[in-house]
Amino acid sequence: MNGPKTWLLLTYKVPRHPSARRVYVWRKLKQLGAILLHDSVWVLPNSDRSAEQLRWLAEEIKEFGGRASLWTSHAASEEQESELVRAFSQDVDKAYSQILARLRRPPADLSTLSKRYQEVMARDYFHSLVGEQVRAALMKTKGGGRSR
Amino acid sequence: MRWVTWEGIKVDRMACGWLIRRFIDPKAEFVFIPPGTRPLPKGAEPFDIPGVRLSHHRGHCSFHAMLKAYKLKDPVLSRMARIVDEADVVQEAAIEPAAPGLDFVCRGIRRTSPDDYVAMERGGMICDALYAELQARE
Repeated sequence: MNGPKTWLLLTYKVPRHPSARRVYVWRKLKQLGAILLHDSVWVLPNSDRSAEQLRWLAEEIKEFGGRASLWTSHAASEEQESELVRAFSQDVDKAYSQILARLRRPPADLSTLSKRYQEVMARDYFHSLVGEQVRAALMKTKGGGRSR
Repeated sequence: MRWVTWEGIKVDRMACGWLIRRFIDPKAEFVFIPPGTRPLPKGAEPFDIPGVRLSHHRGHCSFHAMLKAYKLKDPVLSRMARIVDEADVVQEAAIEPAAPGLDFVCRGIRRTSPDDYVAMERGGMICDALYAELQARE
């Protein structure tokens, strides 16, 4: 259970123009919660679902006239691995904290915030504790926005 | 006719299989091959395999490609195509509430099915149900 984690790495090139395509690919990667390492490699924790998502994105990039390679990999050191896990956690914790802050500031727009929660949860690969707090707060909060 | 796709089917391949059997080729026979197998078996139409005709194009799922290729104009099927798009790959706009649930259920179906043939049957039942509900709301 505590063996080295497997990571998916995506490298790609999209023609510079039209720039909308570059933005499109970038946005999809952000939606998946991928992290860009050293301005060159996009990383996601490996899973069936993530591998499928990246495989199809790579196909799309090729359709754009770009090039893409998808790899699975292990970090060569534990330190490097935990750094990566930390980077993923920080990303989602930050997004969750913003939701919490807004929940505590009435009136909270519960429908918008729960939608936002779902988006963040979809890329919460390491089960953030802040996420659990958001979930509890969303279930407790009533229309007036007072969560306690 | 024989139709071939990668094994370990999820929402898009289940929906495609259902579409084939119900609207394109009622006597369809499915062949499942390990992902990445090349060359593709002869005499079978490939679907939802990267790079083939009936596959993802321009961010749309293979189900969508099938509607286009076989000129199926049913508005209920078009709506299903959007749902499968959102269930299968992350889309910029999420407008179909059924999509995330459908993705979960289809993954679960594959987990609880002994093989892809059974998963295809069971996925077909889900698609029948989805189609009926969407049709009732048209």
